[in-house]
Amino acid sequence: MTLLSVQNLTKTFQTPSGPVHAVRDVSFEVERGECLAVVGESGSGKTTLANMILGILGATSGEIRFDGATLPAKRGPVHRRAIQFVQQNPLSALNPKRNIGASVRLGLDTYAIGPRADRWLKVEEALEEVGLPREMRQRAPSSLSGGQRQRVGIARALACEPELVVLDEPTSALDVLVQARVLRLLNDLRARKKLTYVFITHDLAVVRNVADRVAVFKAGQLVELGRTEQIFSAPEHPYTRSLIGAVPVVDDAELELRNKLAEGT
Amino acid sequence: MTHLLDIRDLHLAFKGLSGLTEVLHGIDLSIAAGERVALVGESGSGKSVTARIVLGLLQEMRNARVTGRVAFDGADVMTMAQKDRAALRGTEMSMIFQDPTSSLNPTFTIGNQFAEVMRRRDPKLDQAACDARATEMLTEVSIPDPGRVLANYPFQLSGGMNQRVMIAMALVNNPKLLLADEPGTALDVSVQAQTLRLMHDLVEKHHTAVLFISHNLGVVREFADRVYVIYRGRIVETGPTDAIFHSPGHAYTRALMDAVPRITGAGLPAVPEVSDDFLAPMVRHDGGAS
Repeated sequence: MTLLSVQNLTKTFQTPSGPVHAVRDVSFEVERGECLAVVGESGSGKTTLANMILGILGATSGEIRFDGATLPAKRGPVHRRAIQFVQQNPLSALNPKRNIGASVRLGLDTYAIGPRADRWLKVEEALEEVGLPREMRQRAPSSLSGGQRQRVGIARALACEPELVVLDEPTSALDVLVQARVLRLLNDLRARKKLTYVFITHDLAVVRNVADRVAVFKAGQLVELGRTEQIFSAPEHPYTRSLIGAVPVVDDAELELRNKLAEGT
Repeated sequence: MTHLLDIRDLHLAFKGLSGLTEVLHGIDLSIAAGERVALVGESGSGKSVTARIVLGLLQEMRNARVTGRVAFDGADVMTMAQKDRAALRGTEMSMIFQDPTSSLNPTFTIGNQFAEVMRRRDPKLDQAACDARATEMLTEVSIPDPGRVLANYPFQLSGGMNQRVMIAMALVNNPKLLLADEPGTALDVSVQAQTLRLMHDLVEKHHTAVLFISHNLGVVREFADRVYVIYRGRIVETGPTDAIFHSPGHAYTRALMDAVPRITGAGLPAVPEVSDDFLAPMVRHDGGAS
């Protein structure tokens, strides 16, 4: 069943040096429970697309449908709660003057989730769910490590009980061991809570291991969309092949696959 | 075999409110002339401070205590006068940083910044001579219209172009050692791949030794001849790149390798929590310099 449907979506920015076509006539669908990866280089329109799905930016034309209904340009609280966001840099995403608990609770208060008296308990449960101790709600963001902060970012999004989570480069600021743990956590949470992900990243090795389908963007256009296994066994668009060809790899099996795919044979 | 850079038993501690905190616990590392050596580790492991000690920057900080031996091209960087250390920077050794755009001065043209670097070696160079040499270097890093780039400010160039300018600038004085701290991490993968290939060819051509600092194992595999793996201020494994990648011997190196997602889709590995094995003695592969 389709949860998110993007139809002929276009975003043009007017700048002093002329119009910039950030997203051009893009259409795709995301099934409930699916993880769709959106990949592309900087300037390909990934973040503009995310901002439109989140309602931070309005579209120039086209529409976004969520759970069967067209999303209005100005989102109400129901949709804002149902579509949550996990950002790249967890430190700048958390208010430095609020402790962790207050940041996580903000969404619960804004959308009036559960009785007021239970909300601190819910905050603690959300922290526990992402593998953080309950006591951490008293701490300031600055006293946490990068991996812990990203877990807080995830806890804050999930506390709002969303259906769709847009993740914008959620692990690219993390060390490789921490990244592996956070990616596993995201996979577990998606299965356990039946979440749907739009996972934006430039890291194709991550995509290979978390996504069901992959959407490849280039200069605002969707150039290839397919199942992950298909993209990594027979990429069709030359741009997809060049992206795969640039991935730094660590073992010989990967090197062989990369060279094979990059040549397009 | 003589080394261009030879670090022995390097310790670094910072004085803080709670006393001394030691962050490097006795590092041994050496680089031969023209060799490409990678120092790999996670954030906070001590990679960047090691580079800063080689540059002689931390020795000048009042709250840092550095002990050990750092020999560069036969001279002792630790006992050298401050002004002699300063004279080495930008001439005999130079550095490339992670984010090219923020490491170039936004208020000067590229041409002016090239001239400043070149005058560190020869203060009497006139602008025309500087421009001529800069044009030559920019051509070497495959910049199409060097004349235009020299007249530009950094913000007028893309991140990839700025990174090439940085590489050209770092190599313009023919340094013996290039310190590259996570070069290209801020760039797109395809631009990163291009710049690394370019840097690889250039240092080979000019016989420049490189200390390549990175957390990205894939990039290291493609760039370096030899690898040091650093964990919490200790070298845990060292050897030729092939040996490290084909038969990692230390528990920490293996955990790092396992944690990297593969494009062959092996799934996400269960990463062990910090274990005592990570503090096991160093593993040294044959074939590397001592």
